[in-house]
Amino acid sequence: MTDVGAAAYSEGTLKGGGVPPSRARSKVLRSPWTAVIVAATLFIAAFPVLSDDLYYQNMFILSMVFAIGAVGLNVITGYAGYVSLGQGAFIGLGAYAVGVCVNDIGGSPWVWIPVAGLLSGAVAALLGVVAMRARGHSFVILTIAFLFLLQLLATNWDSLTNGTGGITLPIPTWSVDYQYWPFYYSLLGLLALSLLLTWWIRRNKFGMGLIAIREDEDKAATVGVSTPTYKILAFSASAVFVGMAGGVYGYYISFIDPLGMFNILLSVQIILSLLLGGRATLWGPVLGAFIIEWLNETTNNEFGGGNARLLIFGGLLALVVLFLPGGIVPTVNGWIERWRARGQAGLAGERLTGVDLRERAAPPPAEPAVSGSPLLEVKGLEKRFGGVRAVDGASFAVPEGSITALIGPNGSGKTTVFNLIGGTMAPQAGEVWFDGRRIDGKPPWRRAHLGLGRTFQITRLFPDMTVLENVVAPLREFHVGLLGADAVSGREAKRAEELLEFVGMGKYRDVRAAALSYGQQKLVELAQILMLDPKLIMLDEPAGGINPTLIERIGEMIRELNARGKTFLIVEHNMPFVLGLCNPVLVLARGQTIASGSPDEVQRDPKVLDAYLGEDFRLEQPVGA
Amino acid sequence: MTEFLQALILGLLIGGVYALLAAGLTLIFGVMNVINIAHGAFLILAAFITWSLWRATGLDPLAAIVLLTPLMFAFGWLLYNATIRRIRRAPPAPSVLLTFGLALFIEGIMGVIWGNTSHSVRPAYSTDSFKIGELFLPKAQVYGGLVAIAVLTSLYLVLTRSWLGRAIRASAVNPQGAELVGVNVASVAALTFAIGVASAGAGGAIASVLYPFLPGSHYQWIARLLGIIVLGGMGSLPGAVIGALCLGVAELMTVTYIAPEWATGVPYLFVFVVLLLRPQGILGTRLRQDVATA
Repeated sequence: MTDVGAAAYSEGTLKGGGVPPSRARSKVLRSPWTAVIVAATLFIAAFPVLSDDLYYQNMFILSMVFAIGAVGLNVITGYAGYVSLGQGAFIGLGAYAVGVCVNDIGGSPWVWIPVAGLLSGAVAALLGVVAMRARGHSFVILTIAFLFLLQLLATNWDSLTNGTGGITLPIPTWSVDYQYWPFYYSLLGLLALSLLLTWWIRRNKFGMGLIAIREDEDKAATVGVSTPTYKILAFSASAVFVGMAGGVYGYYISFIDPLGMFNILLSVQIILSLLLGGRATLWGPVLGAFIIEWLNETTNNEFGGGNARLLIFGGLLALVVLFLPGGIVPTVNGWIERWRARGQAGLAGERLTGVDLRERAAPPPAEPAVSGSPLLEVKGLEKRFGGVRAVDGASFAVPEGSITALIGPNGSGKTTVFNLIGGTMAPQAGEVWFDGRRIDGKPPWRRAHLGLGRTFQITRLFPDMTVLENVVAPLREFHVGLLGADAVSGREAKRAEELLEFVGMGKYRDVRAAALSYGQQKLVELAQILMLDPKLIMLDEPAGGINPTLIERIGEMIRELNARGKTFLIVEHNMPFVLGLCNPVLVLARGQTIASGSPDEVQRDPKVLDAYLGEDFRLEQPVGA
Repeated sequence: MTEFLQALILGLLIGGVYALLAAGLTLIFGVMNVINIAHGAFLILAAFITWSLWRATGLDPLAAIVLLTPLMFAFGWLLYNATIRRIRRAPPAPSVLLTFGLALFIEGIMGVIWGNTSHSVRPAYSTDSFKIGELFLPKAQVYGGLVAIAVLTSLYLVLTRSWLGRAIRASAVNPQGAELVGVNVASVAALTFAIGVASAGAGGAIASVLYPFLPGSHYQWIARLLGIIVLGGMGSLPGAVIGALCLGVAELMTVTYIAPEWATGVPYLFVFVVLLLRPQGILGTRLRQDVATA
């Protein structure tokens, strides 16, 4: 590996070893919550010992079942952004697993609890396989269908489930002096394990990848995140403990039937717990679950349940979505943060720092090495959208060590060619060769691992991540063991900071990406791609929509990176920028490469003039005729 | 053979009713990118109102469409402006959760007003059948299917022949572009939602004769309608019709050749198979995701 980054980019001030942003931020927020959390945990843990009130023991048991469900749901909904209306199905699945095993095989229900967990995890993984291609709305529909399908199976598969008659579990054998303690403490243990799991996920590469998927799934794939693996693992992680809790719950209420176990209201209460407490927070779902269960009991006692539960939970779901979309914990955190940050000026208005522009006012003209063998080769690429031939047999090569431009009139297929090379789209015909390997057919993250980095025409950073997290998110390789690694290791943070210094965005490392201006986002996206240490950097309109000073700076950076061995393929409309920077220049028109050569050659090529100006000529002819 | 033909014809007739109901759902999705989980609740609400009208005045349920369509249109328009309007530009999650919350709320209201018992509307002809050769076609199914096709046709004409229809289609394809050429996309969205709910009103009146219903029936209906639009391609009106006819026939075939209790599973199967093999459905197109709509 030619580690261009570590050595060369540290020209700017080295600022490695600082506190990673996530930790810095949590330090601010920790104090007000820690006391509350410790006190609440101690209270809940000691409650059955302190009080023999079974009404409240029952309430806490149900709260913990909801909490385990909501904490699990947090992994896919909070982190990965996949909303599920079928989370309650895993409680039912776990309960049925225990019920069926106890009745058909025998033994104590406790023995079968782990089986319930494994079954739920496996079924969730299958759901993840189906969801590999279903996003957003389709996924929500899938989860609804999943819940109803399980209910239907439980109803109709008489020989296994005894249908609507349900399954009765044996009465607990322990002394009545222990009340519900075994249920209580096993659920408390499962809740602790669930929380530990989500806490661990949030601070390792796995959680980082899930958040990248939530923010922009296609983009995540182009920076090396193997999205299907992440999703399948996330679904399993979201269901294992829920299945186990379902088993305990089934034993606790000792009667398992399709209507009770696969009741959609159970899913509603779980998702409400998560939304109300706060998505993607550690403790939010637990807080939400205790509120929802309290509301549940109150509704049953005061209003007789039934329709009142529908009105209250349906109404609450609508109200939370409309008026408290962030949930309690993030909203309160927002107040605290605003209160602490009062009087401090934001960074947004500051000037870009980093490379001293005056020192390089007159950069040497580019003399890129164009003699190298092709790093990227495209042969007869075709892509149709319905009847439109966006790319129609494009063939070209990008020499190693060059800054190659891909130009062409609007609609000539440049961005589509980029997508075909990067793997966000599959071609109908043609081949893409990169570094001696055929890569069409490989998924985007494999291409990223091989050394292909790309930016997007409209910048696509992960908006809710900080600048530093954005730069650290790319993965240069993937294996399952990597998932457990720290989200931001010290080495990575240092390298990311160096890259940010290189693009002049060092001061913005802890700012949310969504708060940056468009030009700043372009710089951060460049740093993000450099984190992949790619051999080929593909930039889609690096100079589009930004001011002339910044265009000049981006040009300098490209030259500097090129001098250090990076090959570039650039799509750009700004002709002075392209012609001063790139050699060779490839011209695309109507999905085909119609010319290539040095800037001078291309400028004089009549075919190129025709492609750019042809329609005007044609328009003028009838006027003259 | 007779058995097969009977199942096929009845499946197509019930498919026509499904098509009308799914058309509203897919229209709302196409224009607003909102999955209206409350669609099933709207149609059950319409069925209950039809029941009350029939009980109080003896009004024929199919004639009640004339009243229910404008009534549900107004209800949809008000509900849209009171709630969904606020999250129109939000990502998928909030809109699904919001309409799901509304569905539960409406279910609760129906439970309070009409009780949680099974209702059905039984006009005089509901026990008669047309006998054609060896085929027995219940009159309710035949009338219901034909009326559904008539309403669906008029909906189609509104969408293809009127200015409002063009505005709706323009807003579906390119909201920014539609704004630029003078379409008030926000009010078009409200009208689209109202039209969708109105079609659920018409469909609900027809459905009240065909199936018994209670407030909780809306889950089964929404599952059915979601299965249809996933199969047909979300947002595609012709796709919804094709999906609905497929589901109608598949359900009837399941009832005839497998077992009636598995018929409710057909839409779930549709969802799983389609999302696994062809996520965009039969007529859905995969949109170019690289072209930003910022």
